[in-house]
Amino acid sequence: MSGRIGKIERSIEELYRNDPERADAVVFGRKDGPSRRGFLGGAGLAAFGAAVGGAIPFSQNMPAGLVPAALAQDKPAAPAAPKGPVHLDFPGKDKGLVVIGEKPLVAETPEHLLNDDTTPVEKFYIRNNGQIPDEAKEPEKWTVKIEGEVNKPLEISLGELKSKYKAQTLRMVLECGGNGRSFFTPRASGNQWTNGGAGCAEWTGVRLADVLKTAGVKPSGIYTAHYAADLHLSGDASKLPLSRGVRMPKAMEPESMIVWAMNGKPLPNIHGGPVRLIFPGWAGSASQKWLTRIVIRDKEHDGPGMTGTSYRLTIKPMVPGEKADPKNFKILESMPVRSVITAPANGTKLAAGTRDVALRGASWAGDLSVQRVDISLDYGQSWQAAKLEKPKNKFDWQRWTANLKLPSDGYFEIWSRATDSKGTMQPHVAPNWNPSGYGGNPFHRIAVLVG
Amino acid sequence: MGEIRSIASRYWSVDRVLKRTGTPGWAAKAAHLLVLLSIGAELVVCAPAIGSAQQQTFEPREEEPEEFPDLPGREDTFYFCTACHNFKLVAQQGMSRARWDGTLDFMTERHGMPKLEGKQREAILDYLEKAFPESAAPGGWQNPFLKR
Repeated sequence: MSGRIGKIERSIEELYRNDPERADAVVFGRKDGPSRRGFLGGAGLAAFGAAVGGAIPFSQNMPAGLVPAALAQDKPAAPAAPKGPVHLDFPGKDKGLVVIGEKPLVAETPEHLLNDDTTPVEKFYIRNNGQIPDEAKEPEKWTVKIEGEVNKPLEISLGELKSKYKAQTLRMVLECGGNGRSFFTPRASGNQWTNGGAGCAEWTGVRLADVLKTAGVKPSGIYTAHYAADLHLSGDASKLPLSRGVRMPKAMEPESMIVWAMNGKPLPNIHGGPVRLIFPGWAGSASQKWLTRIVIRDKEHDGPGMTGTSYRLTIKPMVPGEKADPKNFKILESMPVRSVITAPANGTKLAAGTRDVALRGASWAGDLSVQRVDISLDYGQSWQAAKLEKPKNKFDWQRWTANLKLPSDGYFEIWSRATDSKGTMQPHVAPNWNPSGYGGNPFHRIAVLVG
Repeated sequence: MGEIRSIASRYWSVDRVLKRTGTPGWAAKAAHLLVLLSIGAELVVCAPAIGSAQQQTFEPREEEPEEFPDLPGREDTFYFCTACHNFKLVAQQGMSRARWDGTLDFMTERHGMPKLEGKQREAILDYLEKAFPESAAPGGWQNPFLKR
């Protein structure tokens, strides 16, 4: 800590601005306690109470360095909470993205912005669990360690990854494990995604299997554990925001990659650049951003995000909203089948007399492929097949088109339903309720108004 | 580095409250006086390391407790939760008291939140249960033509 010396403080605001912890100590005798939040207590509490003219409930929980709200009298009126969706304002990102949370930063892509065959970086959803790290200044020197149950632990730079291994580019869906969570009733806890926690980009990198072969995974190595450079939201470096892993067979699939480019350009920092993992088809949290280390383990990984009800589904179906039994949960691996209507946009107004509507959409199914997509204009009473395209490669999404005939002017809902290669369809409602809301994949639904 | 970032994350909340302060009221003036009495002409060695700390390209919008349902316990709940994350994450949930109770445990077990107990826990649960109940407007698909 460097410091300016010889300056005399002039106000409580300045004191707090310069050094909140010291300000607490000076003003209220408050010291940062054993907990990182530094709770108020002792004699300082009386001084604090006197200053604000009353007792302070929860004083021991008041974060250190926080000027109490009661001191903030004569404050300007608080701004009204934003009405409707809050749109993202982030360099290089489309302003149509909808902010789900700002700390951590989480933003989804409304379905109509998934209309490109390859999702541009500007429109790709954002999911963070911790703080966003600073951009790497020398990306080629970024290193990844491979250790644990291997014969030859490695530390390899991005430059070496590029020069020593064969690169490949695949267009593949990346999807947040919680995509569709908002469709559960009662509401499941977590970020309330609609269908926009997904996108399909061209990823360039190397097969993780090739790198693991160099390290030589021992027969005891059955699971991966991923570690990254992002800090926990609290700023506490001893805590991990997220550390997930996959079973060894998934790690060895030819499409499981260490990637450094997205749509032909260096992987942006906000998407985990310079180096991240991609495990296509599985919950996105396994695809660690800002990858620094992979530990091969001799048991199922138990890092933050692997246990309890996080990224897990029920084994035996439970009563929605009831208390969950942690023993009744298994890890969410492949994501379920899903389809979205990407044109027209939900809420489109069409001219009176319009009878033909050209639909476009996308569909994907985790580890599987999609065998058909059907469309309904009458709330599921009848369905018509959409024209479904083939994927470019495994884990690519499948675009589809359909032409609908409208019987009249008025209000219409258009529903889409995909069926995966094993015959499993999207359900009408989010199925298999679980407290953290995974596997929510009901039909996509849009409304249009004609005339 | 972690320490610097830890301080940086605290500055965020301090700056936010300072902005709310505006013209100091009587209480702030009293506290100001207290500062002057306490420190006299003491020299200051402060920690301006903030400039070298994390430079984010995204500034979270500054939330205020007044944006959320005005019920007893709002400020305590707001400041307790926003030590780590934005309150919107709380306000987008709708849960029974039992599930809110379980969520507090989850935050302690998974994210190291100081354990809330006794009357404090009850008061925060009272707010969460009443402000964001299970019966809150359902999320998911919203009719774009329905004027609310």
